[in-house]
Amino acid sequence: MTQQRDTSAQPSVNLPELLVRVDNDRDLLRELIEIFQEDFPRRLQQLQTYVGQRDMNSVETASHGLKGMLSSLSAMRAAAAAARLEQMGREGKMAGLPEALAQFEQEVEGLLPELDGYMMEAKQ
Amino acid sequence: MKILIADDDAVSRRLLEKTLQREGYEVIAVDNGLLALQQLSLPDGPRLALLDWMMPGLAGPGVCSAARELRGRPYVHIILVTSRNAKQDIVAGLESGADDYLTKPWNTAELLARLRVGQRILHLEDRLVEAGETLLFKATHDSLTSLLNRGAILDLLARELARTRREKGCTVMMLCDLDHFKNVNDTYGHVVGDEVLQEVARRLLFSVRSYDFVGRYGGEEFLIVLNNCDSSQAVLRAEEVRNGIANHPVQTSRGPLPITMSLGILASRDWDFHLAEEILGEADAALYRAKADGRNCVRLAEPKASSDPHSQLVK
Repeated sequence: MTQQRDTSAQPSVNLPELLVRVDNDRDLLRELIEIFQEDFPRRLQQLQTYVGQRDMNSVETASHGLKGMLSSLSAMRAAAAAARLEQMGREGKMAGLPEALAQFEQEVEGLLPELDGYMMEAKQ
Repeated sequence: MKILIADDDAVSRRLLEKTLQREGYEVIAVDNGLLALQQLSLPDGPRLALLDWMMPGLAGPGVCSAARELRGRPYVHIILVTSRNAKQDIVAGLESGADDYLTKPWNTAELLARLRVGQRILHLEDRLVEAGETLLFKATHDSLTSLLNRGAILDLLARELARTRREKGCTVMMLCDLDHFKNVNDTYGHVVGDEVLQEVARRLLFSVRSYDFVGRYGGEEFLIVLNNCDSSQAVLRAEEVRNGIANHPVQTSRGPLPITMSLGILASRDWDFHLAEEILGEADAALYRAKADGRNCVRLAEPKASSDPHSQLVK
């Protein structure tokens, strides 16, 4: 079920697209990353709890929120993984839920350090 | 222009806020549907709104349908922002009262273009409301004096009488007629006659309270409706109105003209009538008596059962 693939070589964020979205405003980019870094761990933890509880309505809402954040940051693979969780939540489909969560976690694993890198660049 | 954005995702919200601020919008950003609805309910709340579909508290479509129920607020152009792009979701969003939708992640150029469409629609809406208000004013006001016209003052009278009866209160009406007005027209012409009517209208409005009504009933006839007033005050008030006309000549393009007015007045509580026409008939009879008694005076219509079978002489 899990789609194991090596994504570490490819960046999680489509930076050119993100820069267009922030209109090349490095300060705004930094601000958005800061908001994400502050908000994301809490949201991820919530999602993990809901998945553990098989609370499908909350899985849908929590993944939806994560999908929105990630797509705004042009982290499209992670956003797609969140979208899968959201759909499973909406359909109440519990089979394969932990695997879908694991895949999402894998997609976002490299994201925070990658964003840290952009933060450093943005400060320069 | 003020714009509301409602999104519980802080990253998207900040990005949207900054993008719109760059374009000169005054952005109000909230993180849930209930706060969004609160903003839309404010008297000078935003006229443009970008609502996220899924929000805690109240979702975007819920905010839309609740916002459409609000009365006394100008139209708000609502765009739902959604990553749910299934056709049935879009239909449900639009059916809830949204005007448009955008899918996340949005394209900035498309977002701004859609907001411009929204502004165009709001502009059209404003012009439509303005045209409606102008038409309503023209349909209910006399073009020469800008007072309520005959139809409008009679409607108001009927409404006031019904309210007064319900609340066991009293409404006073004054039927006022300029004395020898035909002479003004015949001697100085209709232009001067119109100047007199305009000045009389201005003085009548000046002599009543803000919540009373003044209408042009006919050529040189005016009808005044006073709320919460009874026969004990009516004569005094009518004398003020009469003096307001008689005490100072009307300045016209042909010089100052002395103008007077006769008044037939009636207090609704003194009569058991239900129809405005019956009451007006009695006020008209009192006015006729004022004319017969030498003009420039006030006569109060009193029911036949009173000690004086005709009317009370007040001047």
